[in-house]
Amino acid sequence: MSSLTMAAPILQTTALSVRGLTKRYGGRTVLSGVDFDVRYGELVAFLGANGSGKSTTLKCVMGLAEPDDGGITLDGAALGPLRGGQLQAARRQAAMIFQKIHLVPRRSALDNVCAGALNRIPTSRSLIPALFPREIREEAMACLDRVGLADRALDKVSQLSGGQQQRVAVARALCQRATIVLADEPVSALDPHAAERVMALLHDLAHSENLAVAAVLHQPDLARRHADRAIGLLGGRMVFDTPTRDLTGAQLDELYQPDRMDLT
Amino acid sequence: MSTPLDTPRATPRRMPVPRDPRRRWRTGSLAAAVVVVVVLHVLAFEGTEFRPARLIEGWEGMARFLAEAFPPDLSWEVLGPSLEATVVTLWIGLLGTTLSVPFAILLAVLGARTTSPHPLVYQAARSVLSFFRAVPDIVFALIFVTAVGLGPFAGVLALICHNTGVMGKLWAESMEEIDQGPQEALRTAGANRTQQVAHATLPMVVPQFVGLLLYRFDVNVRSSLVLGLVGAGGIGLLINQSIKSFQFDEMLTHIIVVLVLIVVVDQVSALVRRRLAA
Ligand SMILES: Nc1ncnc2c1ncn2[C@@H]1O[C@H](COP(=O)(O)OP(=O)(O)OP(=O)(O)O)[C@@H](O)[C@H]1O
Ligand SMILES: [Mg+2]
Repeated sequence: MSSLTMAAPILQTTALSVRGLTKRYGGRTVLSGVDFDVRYGELVAFLGANGSGKSTTLKCVMGLAEPDDGGITLDGAALGPLRGGQLQAARRQAAMIFQKIHLVPRRSALDNVCAGALNRIPTSRSLIPALFPREIREEAMACLDRVGLADRALDKVSQLSGGQQQRVAVARALCQRATIVLADEPVSALDPHAAERVMALLHDLAHSENLAVAAVLHQPDLARRHADRAIGLLGGRMVFDTPTRDLTGAQLDELYQPDRMDLT
Repeated sequence: MSTPLDTPRATPRRMPVPRDPRRRWRTGSLAAAVVVVVVLHVLAFEGTEFRPARLIEGWEGMARFLAEAFPPDLSWEVLGPSLEATVVTLWIGLLGTTLSVPFAILLAVLGARTTSPHPLVYQAARSVLSFFRAVPDIVFALIFVTAVGLGPFAGVLALICHNTGVMGKLWAESMEEIDQGPQEALRTAGANRTQQVAHATLPMVVPQFVGLLLYRFDVNVRSSLVLGLVGAGGIGLLINQSIKSFQFDEMLTHIIVVLVLIVVVDQVSALVRRRLAA
């Protein structure tokens, strides 16, 4: 219901807010004091060299890594004090898309998309895909249609191209009814055409469905064309947070300079 | 005009290979390993009273035995019961395999590090699996014979127990080996543990599961033969009886029938596995 009233991204409210995020692995600080916001209706690109902490940032938001310090707010709910079921409910607002896609190749695109809705289906009705309620299957169908793959719904995922598989993964995130989509290198394994199409889709989801989308990208060029803002990470610290139209070559050079400290 | 640089070098370049400091250590440990293996074999020869000379001295006994076995008794009074009992052996192997599937899946899911709900549950499941695997099916058969009496039912129960242990372990291992990505993806989507297993882990390992299942069926049909020897029904029982009553020609008939069964089961399961792999 709220998605109807918020369809036009006029008033951009904050979807994801990260403050002072710090993460250490075995005494080595890989994130220190990362601060950023992602608002509904925008696509934010994360840029940075290998090992700069992009994936770790997303993992901390998704609960795949435990932050050592800092606060995360998802859709107005501060995660810090939440525990158990409440924490899970808050996290359900966010969906993650992976470079390696992580669909089940032997199952149909539709079954994979339905799996995004598992948290709304009682366990007894979700043991095999044949038991999925009809309204879930129909919703999943609509999500596949949204990513332009309604005609491939019954094909096995293994028979789809990499770009199509990544769009199925996006559909799964939609079927989860996520309002915040985090994508870790969603197009790094795709050819330029497929990458373009997936990025255009993510851009469109942000702008016409008013989702908050954050994507780690390794091509500044794609960020310039599709993202509204770019956040630069260098050795676990944020070095810029600017609208992509203001992104300068000097800023990018700083990110990818070869003599950075953690060169190994 | 060609300069010397335009043509390939006449002699290939060479460079000294650096000395590998681990090489002597590797040679030493290889020699030590050879010595250990040789010593173990000497001890094993002693322990099993391995004397090939005795086999040559006793060839007459074997020749007499074989002479009595040939030709096999192919009369219907022998062949009929033999075929019937062989089918029972097949049924024992089949039920022993399929009825252990639910137990094996449950214990595999609890006993795989990637799907187990708790380290204690993991340890418990692994212990149960180890126990069922460690006790040979023939021992289970002897135990069940005392409970349900002589016959194929005891054989089925024995195979269920042992096969649960073996298949559960193999399945747990194949679940630990597969790509954990899909499971993690569903976890981030808010799916609970059961749902993660049902929609990511299990569908990912179906080919390995079916392959191992067919392999175990193959093994279990052969095991059920041996179980017959201790009274758990099937063709093994007939083989045992014909040996005890010195009817070696009957025994040979049974063995030929068994051979046919085993070749057929082997071929069918190989065929199905090939189909699955394709
Ligand atoms: N589980 C882990 N254990 C120990 N160190 C880790 C772990 N995960 C990440 N790191 C370290 O944290 C640092 C940041 O890693 P991260 O994966 O966030 O980088 P990234 O920016 O995503 O790089 P890439 O572009 O290669 O994906 C790296 O130095 C990495 O070695
Ligand atoms: Mg990364």
